[in-house]
Amino acid sequence: MSVRLAAPDWSLLVPPLIVVGTIVLLLIVDAVLRRPPARLLLSLAFAGQVLALASLWTIDWAQGATTFGQSYRADWFALAVALVALIAGALSVLVSAGYTESGLDPEGIGQAEYLSLLLFSVLGTMLVGAAGDFIVLLLGLEMSAVAVYALTAFARRRVTSVEGALKYFLLGAFASAILIYGMAWVYGSTGSIVLRDIAETLRTVVMPGQPLDPALLLALLLLAVGLGFKIAAVPFHMWTPDAYQGAPTPVSAYMSVVPKVAGFAAVARVLVQGLQPLSEQWTGLLGMLAAITMIYGNVVAIAQRDLKRMLGYSAIGHTGYMLAGLAAFTTGQAGDRSVGSVLFYLFAYTFMNIGAFGVIAWLQERRLGTTLDDIAGLAGRAPLAALTMAIFMLSLMGLPPLLGFYAKYYVILALIEAGQLWLAVAIVVMSAVSAFFYLRVVTRMYFEEPAGALQPARTPIVGVGLALTTLATLVLGLVSSPILDLVQRWSAALA
Amino acid sequence: MDNLPILSLITYSPLVGAAILFLWGGASPRAARWIALLASSVSFLLSVVMLVAFDRGQSTLQFTETFDWLPELGIAYRLGVDGISAPLVGLTTLLTLIAVLASWDPIRHRVREYYITLLLLATGMLGVFVSLDLFLFYVFWEIVLIPMALIIGVWGSANRVYAAVKFFLYTLAGSLLMLVGIVALYQEYFRQTGIRTLDVLQLAQGQYSEAFQFWTFLAFFLAFAIKVPMWPFHTWLPDAHVEAPTAGSVILAGVLLKMGGYGFLRFNLPLFPDATRVWAPAIVVLSVIAILYGALMALVQQDFKKLVAYSSVSHMGFVTLGIFVLNQLGLSGAMVVMLSHGFVTSALFLIVGVLYERAHTRDLAAFGGLARTMPVFAAFFGLFALASLGLPGLSGFVGEFLALLGGFRAYRWAGVLGTIVVILAAWYMLRVYQRVALVRAPGEPPDPDDPERRLAVAHGLPPIAGGSDGPHAYPDPRTFPDLTWREAVSLLPLALLTIWIGVYPLPLLEMLEPALAALLGRGM
Repeated sequence: MSVRLAAPDWSLLVPPLIVVGTIVLLLIVDAVLRRPPARLLLSLAFAGQVLALASLWTIDWAQGATTFGQSYRADWFALAVALVALIAGALSVLVSAGYTESGLDPEGIGQAEYLSLLLFSVLGTMLVGAAGDFIVLLLGLEMSAVAVYALTAFARRRVTSVEGALKYFLLGAFASAILIYGMAWVYGSTGSIVLRDIAETLRTVVMPGQPLDPALLLALLLLAVGLGFKIAAVPFHMWTPDAYQGAPTPVSAYMSVVPKVAGFAAVARVLVQGLQPLSEQWTGLLGMLAAITMIYGNVVAIAQRDLKRMLGYSAIGHTGYMLAGLAAFTTGQAGDRSVGSVLFYLFAYTFMNIGAFGVIAWLQERRLGTTLDDIAGLAGRAPLAALTMAIFMLSLMGLPPLLGFYAKYYVILALIEAGQLWLAVAIVVMSAVSAFFYLRVVTRMYFEEPAGALQPARTPIVGVGLALTTLATLVLGLVSSPILDLVQRWSAALA
Repeated sequence: MDNLPILSLITYSPLVGAAILFLWGGASPRAARWIALLASSVSFLLSVVMLVAFDRGQSTLQFTETFDWLPELGIAYRLGVDGISAPLVGLTTLLTLIAVLASWDPIRHRVREYYITLLLLATGMLGVFVSLDLFLFYVFWEIVLIPMALIIGVWGSANRVYAAVKFFLYTLAGSLLMLVGIVALYQEYFRQTGIRTLDVLQLAQGQYSEAFQFWTFLAFFLAFAIKVPMWPFHTWLPDAHVEAPTAGSVILAGVLLKMGGYGFLRFNLPLFPDATRVWAPAIVVLSVIAILYGALMALVQQDFKKLVAYSSVSHMGFVTLGIFVLNQLGLSGAMVVMLSHGFVTSALFLIVGVLYERAHTRDLAAFGGLARTMPVFAAFFGLFALASLGLPGLSGFVGEFLALLGGFRAYRWAGVLGTIVVILAAWYMLRVYQRVALVRAPGEPPDPDDPERRLAVAHGLPPIAGGSDGPHAYPDPRTFPDLTWREAVSLLPLALLTIWIGVYPLPLLEMLEPALAALLGRGM
C-alpha cells in the first residue's frame, strides 16, 4: 500500500522558514568567523525577526489555508501568535544586547548559541499558534520550552541559574508527559488528532445537560494540568519564581513572555478550538484556576524583596487575568470577546514585561543588584531609567492611560458580557492588591535619596529596546481600537 | 468662538507646560517656575473666558466637543460643561495658579520635576470635570492619583511616604470598584438597547432595575465617598494633608475633594435615581456624623494643619448632606459649600504654609501675638477664619445656610444637628485665631498693664491661655516678617471671591440652578 501525500504549500511557511534560516546563518557565521563581532550576530538575529515579521504580509491569512494535511493552519490566530512572538523575540534580542556583548563566558559558549536558542523558542511558539493537530502543537510547545530550559541555565557558573533551569526542566518534562497522556485520551475518545475533527466528533457526542463521558472528563483534566504547567497557573507554578530569579535577566524578560504566549496559544487551540463542545466544563475549570492563580501570584508578590522574583509572582498574577479572559468564553454567541481580549492582553503584556525586565537588565549592566534596596533613590541617579520603570510598574498595575489598563479593561468587559461578574470583581480586587508591590518599586525609586553612582553603559542598544517598549506602553493604549478590532477578528479563526 | 475647543485648551495647556519642562532637561528652577506660571495662567485665563461666555440660563451642556476614540466599544472623546462643572473648572485653574505661586519659594528641591508633576495633576483634575464619557472620566480620575501621591511623597514632610502610599491605596481601591460599575452599566445599557456607549447623558436615559441600581450605585458611591472623604472613609485625609507641602494641601482640599462631590452630582444622582432614594437616608446619617466628628476632632488638634484638615471633613459633610437631601436648596447649598470650601480652606492651608515657612513648625503652641507683628497676615487670617466658621456676609455662610435649609426640609433632625456645628466651628476657629494672632507669644513676658490679667489676678483666676514662661524650642514669633508680596497675591483673589460670594451670590446661584433643577427633574 502506498500513501500519496499532497505536495505541501511552502508559501504558507515563509515566516517560520525565515526564522530557521536566521538560526542556521547565525551558527554558520559563528563557526566561520570564529569570534565574530558581537554587534554582527545581534543585528543578524534582529534583522531575521524583522524580516519574518515583514513576511507575515505575504500570506493571505483570511483564507485559513492548511498544509501538510491538516497539521499546519495559516489562519488569523496563527498570524496573531506569530506577530506577538516575533515582536517579543525582537525586543528580547535588543534587551539582551548588554548581556551578550559582555562576551558571556570565556570558555566559548557564546552569543551565537544564546541567540539561536532564543530564535528556536520563537519558532516553536509560532508553530503552536499555527498548529492544526496535536503533533505540531506538541512539537512547537516542546521546541519553545526546551530552548528556554537551556537559556535559563546559561549562566552556568551560577548555582541559582542551574537550579532554576533544572526545576523548570523537570517540571516541564513532567507536564509534557501529562499533556501527551491527555491528548492520547482525546484521541481514544474521538479517533482523531486534528483539532477541527475532534471538535466535529465531540459535537455529535456531547449532549448539553447530559453527564460527560468519564474518558473525556479525564482527558480534559489531564490537558488542563499539562497546559497549566506551561502557563504557570497555580497550583502548577512552582518552577516560575526560581526560574525567573535564577536566569540571566534578559532571559527572564524573554521567558516571562514568549513561552507564556506559546502556552496560551496551546490552551486556545486545544480548548477553544478542539474541545469547544466541552466549553461548559472547561470555562468553569479555567475560572477557578484563574481566581486561584491571580490571588496567589499577587498576594505572594507582596512579600518579595527581589525585583526579578517579584516580577515572577506578578507574572503568575497576570496569567490569572488572562485565564479569566478565556474563562469568559461563551459558545455560539456572536462577538465573543474572550479570546480577543486574551490576545490583546498578551500583546500588551509583551511590552510591559520585557520593558520591566529590560530596565533591571540595564541596571545590572551598571553593576546594580536586583533587590528593592538596590533601586532606592534611583530617580536621582538615573532619572530616565526610573521613569521608564515607573511607567512599566504603573502599566502592570493597570493604571490608565497606560497600555496595561486597556488590556485589563477588555478582559473585564469580556467577563461582564459573559455574566462572570465574580471574576471581574476578583481582577479588580487583585489589581488593588497588586498596587502594593508595584507602587513600592515606584516609591523606593522616587521617595528616597540616591546613594552611589552607576557604571557607564556598555551599549546603547538596550536603551533602544527600552525606548520602544516604553513608547508602546504609553501610546498603544490610546489607539487600541484598531488593534482590538483586529484581534477580535483574528480570534474568530478558532470558531 | 463656537469652533474653538476651549475645554480642551483649558485642560491641556498645563500638559503642554509639563511637556516643555520634561523635554527641557536643563531648565533652571527659575525657568521651571516661570513656565509653570505661564502654563497655569493660560489655563486660568481661558477658563475665565469660558465662564464669561457661559450661557447661565441653560441647563444643557455647553462648549461640547466630541470625536470617536474607540468606536467599537462606544468610547468617545466627549467634553462639555454645565452649571455644575463650569465653576469647578474655574476653581481648579485658579487654585492651580495659586499653587504655582505658593510653591515659588518653599519648593527648592527638584524644582523642575515638581512643576511637571503639578501641571500633570492640573490636567488630570480638569479632565475629570469636563469629561462626559465614563471611560474618559475614569482615565482622568486615575491620572490624578499618581502626581498627587508624588507631590505628597517626594516634597512632603517627615512621614510623607506613609501618607502618600495610604492616599494612593485608599483612593485606588475605591476607584477600581467604580470601574466594575462602569463596565456593568455599559453592559446593561447594551443589553437593553443594543447600543454600545459610555456617554453619560445617553446612559442616564436608560431604565435600570432596582437591584441593578442598588449595587452599581454602591460601586460608584464608594469611589466618591473615599475621595470626598465621608466618615468613615476619611482616615487618609489628615495624614495626607499634614505631610503634603502647602501647595499640595491647597490642591488636595481645594480640588481633589470636590471630585467626590462632583461625582455624586454627575453620576450617582442622574444614573441611579431609584437607588439614590434608597441610599439617601443612610448617606445623610453619615454626613451628619462627618459634620460633627470633623468639628469635634478639629477642636482638640494641636497641629494647625491637622485642625484645618479635620475642619475639611466637617465642611465636606455639608456637601454630602446637601446633595442627598435631594432638594433644590440642598443641592445649591452643596455646590456653594464646595466652591466656598475651595476658597476658604485653600486659603487657610496657605496661611498655615506662611507660618510654617517662618517657624518650621505647625504646633499651635509656637505662635502668639502675630496680630501685632504681622498685621496683614492677621487680617487675611481673620477673614478666612470667619468665613470658615460661617459668618454671614462671607461665602461659607451662604452654602452652609442653604444646605441646612435643605436639610431641615427633608430631615428635621439632620438640620438641627448640623446647626449645632456652627457653634463648634466658631469655637475651634476662634480658638486657633486667638492662639496664633492674639495671645502672648511663647517667651514673651506678661504685660503688667493688661487689664484682663489684672482682673484675673484680682479675682484669683488663672491667667488667660497663651504664652509660656518655661523654655521652648521654637523661634520667637515676634521676629517673623509679614507676608511677602507673593504670599499676599496668592491670598488676595481668594479673599475677594469669599467676600463676593458672601455678599452677592446671585450670579453663581443663577449659574447653578438650571443644571441642578434639571438634575432633580430628571430623576428625583
